[in-house]
Amino acid sequence: MSEEMDSMLDMYLYENGQLLQQLEMTTLEKKDADSFDEGDINEFFRIMHTIKGSSGIMMFDDIMKLAHKLEDVFFYIRESKPDNVPHLELVDKIFEVADFFREEFENIKDGGEPTKDSSALIKDIDKFLSKIKKEIVSEDKVLPKQEEDEEPTQFYIGAAGGDGAKYYYVMAYYRNDIQMCNIHAYALVNSLKENVDEMYYSPSDIITNEESADVILEQGFKILIKAHLELEEVKTILGGFDIEGVDVSECGKEDFEAGFDVPAPIIGSDVIDLGEADEAKTEDKKDEKKEDVTPGDYVIEKKSAGKKATLAKSKKAKASGTSFISVNVNKIDQLMDLIGEIVIAESTVLQNPDLNIEGLNLTNFHKSAAQLTKFTSEMQDVIMSMRMMPLTNTFQKMNRIVFDTSRKVGKNIEFKMIGETTEVDKNIIEHISDPLMHMIRNSIDHGIEEKEERKAAGKPEKGLITLEAKNEAGKVIISVSDDGGGMNPEKLFAKAKKNGIVPREKSIRDYTNKEIYQFITAPGFSTNEEVTELSGRGVGMDVVVKNLQTIGGMLEIDSEYGKGSCMMLKIPLTLAIISGILLEVGKQKFVIETNSVKEFINVRQSSVVKEPDGGEYLNVRGQHYMVVRLSEKYHIDSSVNDIDEGIMILTEYESRRMCIFVDKLLGGQEIVVKPIPDYIKKVDGLSGCTQLGDGSIALILDIATLAG
Amino acid sequence: MADEKMDVITAEDEEFALEGALENAKQYMTFKSGSEYYGIELKYVNEIMGIQSITEIPEVEDYIRGLINLRGKIVPVIDVRIRFKQEPFEYNDRTCIIIVDVRNTVIGLIVETIEDVVTIKDDDIEAPPSLTSANAKNKYVYGFGKVGDEVKLLLNPEKLIRDEDISAIDEVIEENY
Repeated sequence: MSEEMDSMLDMYLYENGQLLQQLEMTTLEKKDADSFDEGDINEFFRIMHTIKGSSGIMMFDDIMKLAHKLEDVFFYIRESKPDNVPHLELVDKIFEVADFFREEFENIKDGGEPTKDSSALIKDIDKFLSKIKKEIVSEDKVLPKQEEDEEPTQFYIGAAGGDGAKYYYVMAYYRNDIQMCNIHAYALVNSLKENVDEMYYSPSDIITNEESADVILEQGFKILIKAHLELEEVKTILGGFDIEGVDVSECGKEDFEAGFDVPAPIIGSDVIDLGEADEAKTEDKKDEKKEDVTPGDYVIEKKSAGKKATLAKSKKAKASGTSFISVNVNKIDQLMDLIGEIVIAESTVLQNPDLNIEGLNLTNFHKSAAQLTKFTSEMQDVIMSMRMMPLTNTFQKMNRIVFDTSRKVGKNIEFKMIGETTEVDKNIIEHISDPLMHMIRNSIDHGIEEKEERKAAGKPEKGLITLEAKNEAGKVIISVSDDGGGMNPEKLFAKAKKNGIVPREKSIRDYTNKEIYQFITAPGFSTNEEVTELSGRGVGMDVVVKNLQTIGGMLEIDSEYGKGSCMMLKIPLTLAIISGILLEVGKQKFVIETNSVKEFINVRQSSVVKEPDGGEYLNVRGQHYMVVRLSEKYHIDSSVNDIDEGIMILTEYESRRMCIFVDKLLGGQEIVVKPIPDYIKKVDGLSGCTQLGDGSIALILDIATLAG
Repeated sequence: MADEKMDVITAEDEEFALEGALENAKQYMTFKSGSEYYGIELKYVNEIMGIQSITEIPEVEDYIRGLINLRGKIVPVIDVRIRFKQEPFEYNDRTCIIIVDVRNTVIGLIVETIEDVVTIKDDDIEAPPSLTSANAKNKYVYGFGKVGDEVKLLLNPEKLIRDEDISAIDEVIEENY
């Protein structure tokens, strides 16, 4: 039983966690609109309804009650469509409730019990509800009807098998959008158990077999009950659950004992016998009378009249969702290592010296080998992409933070997100969330000025914060910029001096502005005189930097006094995938990022100009570009010295152009960037390395430092 | 992985292992470089592998031969002979790479041949004569271990890979952050 509870709990948390995320996302999307549209309200209603239902099953009363309350609100909005709903207030309420749920879920996840009291929040929502209701009094009666949810289930339980028992055939249908209705069905069975003498249900493996959920959706959930209950009482017990429709009919003793072989109310055709063993008995095994139940009880009617419509509908709803499973990252790492090894092993097999025997016919071998190579490389691609996740979720979270924070400080702020689909390694995502949060809070609190100030400075009243992510020069760059007041270097410097961050003898002229901005990342530095709830304690930026350092990132701060600031997280290449071009010089392989390549040029010696001191310049359509020969720069033995034989790569970095001369190009490739181990000192022009398909290593060229 | 290798080794030299466990003694992996035999404490050794293709890195110290791919991990390798300022040698199929882990820095040591795993009692280790401090080798050698008639030069792997490079590492770290 406890194991069942555990798996139920897992499912509960997973299912509701997803719902919560969906709820927040929709709310955020619409927060700036005037109101939610009908689809949203329906969605919210459904979500609350599901959370309510499943929380009820798990007996998390406070969660259930709160969900119920919010459901009431949406129910009301849906039914009577009031046009006076204060949108922002509603958004607030939704977030409050979502936060409450999230905290409780966390609690439950950590093995605790949900302990928080939701009554204050419920009262709040009640107030809100009556506020929007006041205008339309006539609709009052819609709501109380909902209250009968959690009926106390106290019934007289007669002696088992006693006379006067009645037999019922119950058929319960669930709505198509309810997930895991097998769990719901189980809860139903559980509550019935207490009140009935005997009971069978089909499908019987509702807890152990997740597919039973689909069966229930399609066919309904069938229960046979022997109980000392009146029809109405049975209906009341069943009423408390998430059931869309329920048919309860009285049936004879014979029908009950015949089990599901004879589906009483439904005339089935095309009966398929699943031939499962008799497991129908739930717990009253002591009752030996049960023996006359024939084995092979469970039948699935392929077609039953009146069911087709539901069936089709359920299919449609299912098709739209992508399904996910969560996997331990360690396993993926392991998988990645393994695939690396397989690739190496593959190349040792395929290029095995034993194959180099004269006169060996290897046609078939090579065919199969080509097949194998294709599959392994595909596998490698898939595994690499598995670790990569778009920043979308992180960005959404920031959206929420902007919303919350800006409301708290009373500033009107527009939040712009650019490039949220940029994919980064999962590890990085985990580490940038906190720094980003700090930075955004800082921007709102310190960056964006008060309304009056903005007006005086001739800026639009609404502050603008932009969160942008991009891949540049092999780095992931995430920037938070605002159009606020910017930083005053003099003020910063004075403060830094006061806090002892700068030595006394230094003057402001000893530092560049950029260096001064970096002071804010020193521990214990806070320019805000007043400590607010949000920031000002000076623990923000140094934590940001520390967090970044764990993933080897850097923080760059730029600001223009009066115009705004921009903070840039430069996250190194670790595991970031870039598209690169593989090239060869001598025996050495290099990769250059595709983005930085302007064009490839086959040139003649005549278009190259030589300076007396050896510098070479290439003339391309009247423009001259500096030429860097990789073989000379890195002292690599190369047979290609003649300009005519090699190839020129015209590159551009921050509008500086140059040509790189290499032996030949090997092709384009998606590569996983790895840092060069710290042990090796930094080499100009190299930013990392990568493992190629055959297990060899190529160095990644860094255009920015190559010329120097 | 590392543990597996160690298991294999200790299984082969069970009597040594036992002895090592009982007395004040440590196990050393010995290898030949030039005409001398060297020993490195077994606890540093992750695994031993045959020579494989090495990607050179331009503009680094000559003894850093480059990078190898160790099951998806990029590991720098250094040539112990060049590190000892001895004559470089041709790599052949007897050439081995000892993967060592020194305070979380994983580095491959290219050596001519692996010899054996031996147990040397702490009493049998003699400090190198300080007189020869002019000799550059002594920086990495912290003791002479006696095994029967032979003497193994015991290496301090930390000094072997760091020592004079330590400043270089600091520089890199500073640049990065």
